[in-house]
Amino acid sequence: MFVTDIRKEFYEVVANQRVALLVASDIDALCACKILQSLFHCDQVQYTLVPVTGWQDLGTAFLEHKEQFRYFVLINCGANVDLLEMLQPDDDSVFFICDTHRPVDVVNVYNDSQIKLLIKQDDDLGVPSYDDIFRDEDDEEGGDSGNESDEGSEPSGKRRRFDEGAVERRIERQRAKREWEARRREILFDYEQYEYHGTSAAMMFFELAWVLTKDTKDMLWWAVIGLTDQWVHDKITHMKYVTDIATMQRHVSRHNHRNEDEENSLSIDCMRISFEYDLRLSLYQHWSLYESICNSSYTSCNFKLWTLNGQKKLQEFLADMGLPLKQVRQKFHSMDMSIKENLREVIEESSNKYGMKDIRIQTFGVHFGYKNRFLANDMVHACAALLESAEKDDGDNFINALDSLSRSNLDRLHSGIDLAKRKLIAVQQTVASCICTNLILSQGPFLYCYLMEGTPDVKLFSKPMALTLLCKYLLRAFVHSTRNKRCKLLPLIMAAPRDVEKGTVIVVGIPPESETSDKKNFFGRAFEKAAESTSSRTLHDHFDTSIIELKTEDRSKFLDALITLLS
Amino acid sequence: MFCEKAIELIRELQRMSDGQLPAFNEDGLRQILQEMESLYEQNQSDVNEAKSDGRAELIPSIKLRHCCLLRNQRCVAAYLYDRLLRIRALRWEYGSVLPANVRFHMCAEELQWFSQYKKSLASFMRSLGADGLDITQDMKPPKSLYIEVRCLKDHGEFEIDDGTVILLKKNSQHFLPRWKCEQLIRQGVLEHVMS
Repeated sequence: MFVTDIRKEFYEVVANQRVALLVASDIDALCACKILQSLFHCDQVQYTLVPVTGWQDLGTAFLEHKEQFRYFVLINCGANVDLLEMLQPDDDSVFFICDTHRPVDVVNVYNDSQIKLLIKQDDDLGVPSYDDIFRDEDDEEGGDSGNESDEGSEPSGKRRRFDEGAVERRIERQRAKREWEARRREILFDYEQYEYHGTSAAMMFFELAWVLTKDTKDMLWWAVIGLTDQWVHDKITHMKYVTDIATMQRHVSRHNHRNEDEENSLSIDCMRISFEYDLRLSLYQHWSLYESICNSSYTSCNFKLWTLNGQKKLQEFLADMGLPLKQVRQKFHSMDMSIKENLREVIEESSNKYGMKDIRIQTFGVHFGYKNRFLANDMVHACAALLESAEKDDGDNFINALDSLSRSNLDRLHSGIDLAKRKLIAVQQTVASCICTNLILSQGPFLYCYLMEGTPDVKLFSKPMALTLLCKYLLRAFVHSTRNKRCKLLPLIMAAPRDVEKGTVIVVGIPPESETSDKKNFFGRAFEKAAESTSSRTLHDHFDTSIIELKTEDRSKFLDALITLLS
Repeated sequence: MFCEKAIELIRELQRMSDGQLPAFNEDGLRQILQEMESLYEQNQSDVNEAKSDGRAELIPSIKLRHCCLLRNQRCVAAYLYDRLLRIRALRWEYGSVLPANVRFHMCAEELQWFSQYKKSLASFMRSLGADGLDITQDMKPPKSLYIEVRCLKDHGEFEIDDGTVILLKKNSQHFLPRWKCEQLIRQGVLEHVMS
């Protein structure tokens, strides 16, 4: 069931109890977790935090902790599957789920006792009504058994007369039931067909903090990072992003108007969050402007930087703005102040001429101390790079990424930024090589690309978030580079080797690229059906159903099944 | 030269200046006591000779040996006392049960002293307040009652005061009462997370 008053029904319930937090491995979940942790520290609620990377992890963690905890809080996992069926908990376990995955499973919505959804009910959900899906079996059984008992007590003479009436009524009931069931299947199919994302979990918890009036600027910043994560990884539509930014902007202005004028200015060490209408160049303040333009998907795809022509256009673009190459290749901090002053406006003007109308995007930046300025998407890139670093195992990565979100762990954040730079360069090079060597094949209803084992940096792409990012950049680049009109509207499936010893590949499917895309992904169900029909050995372990693991040998038959399914 | 062994004992303690307890140097002590005994006997005979025969030229050597005896005594006393001070500090750091390797370094008398010290500390603590106060915890005033800890290795189950059991698995984080965690933090199982 949906929680209407998050303070009474969630926070006050767990405030005196011990809680287990099961947190998924994505940035939004990490931010939500940090906010909730600070609230718990304030009120001294004892908790245990366990990171989970997939359904199996979730099951194991639950089994290990179910003896000791009664209340479980699941962040960014658990809403889109029948949780009670999967975990088989005892009757007194209560689950609080704050998840952005949609559609929310109908059993979770209509369970009144054990599942509490920390999701706003008007969050674009479209849940089918109760009567359409659930039907009390008692009504018809009661009717039948009532008749049967009547029949039993009646003498045999009258029985024959009642028999005919009863049989007719039963046939009628059965037909109605079949019709109802067919309609139910249809409704459920429509409801569960597309997978998409709802409001950020970090924003939900920030709202809880606000309602408790325990919100701080740190929590606000984490909420902003959670929202930006959804935008960077293309989980929500542009409209929703802009709406949510407006919500956050209200909170930011509320936090900023605190006696700040010439007499009472805040110390430079205090944290300031400001609204920025900033450039869509990833990490440009921590890199050189040139590198940033080359490695951000927006500019790279619009200029087509993998072609010679594209490189020339970039040089023209820089010349048009009057930026000397020497300046542009330097680290951003060391650029001349005269250039940095109007940089955004200058770039916006020039990029309009080159067809890039949206080079600026609404976002937030943070500023504390003399050296430390970060934009929200810098933080997202850094944190994501730490979370999926190939050098350490999952648990350490989770801890590193979680720590990098605190302001006192700046060295970790900087190492994250370095990793993110390497990741972006690797993505860009892979995209360039895939386009130039025509690795993207049209299979009919979708495009397909397979990363061979020897590809440089292929280890980076064995992780789901990195592979999804690569997939989106690749699709965008492909749409810009191909002349085939039909191919521009196709979705993309990408496969990359995941574990060489076990012989598995990771397969990701993303919806087609378009300006007004609603980001709804149907590959989850498609993958399930294709795997069933070919009995391929697949592992649907990830919380996003459009990401699966598959045995390398089963790849071709799986693909063929998908083609037949989707055409 | 005389008293060299005694200086060696002192140096042994000085080498471990951070409060660690080296093994009880039984041999060294015995050698010093033997030296003291031989010095004393020599002195004894010389004193008798000097008294009876009136040989005044023996007096400087008697004085020398006497000084050596006093020095040896002082060194040995310092050695034993410093060890006792270190053992006392161990009670405050490790609690009432010492790890086996430390106990191995103590001689029988030191162990006895330790248990006596434990008893008197315990009876003192019991006399404070209504039902006693454990003053060996919280040497500095704590900033908060609960701290956030991160588990560095799998430690299995851990019970806290109200009976609830927590599973300490690698990379899980917990928010627990401070006094329960201090022991494990010292052992290196948990790590205090400061945000």
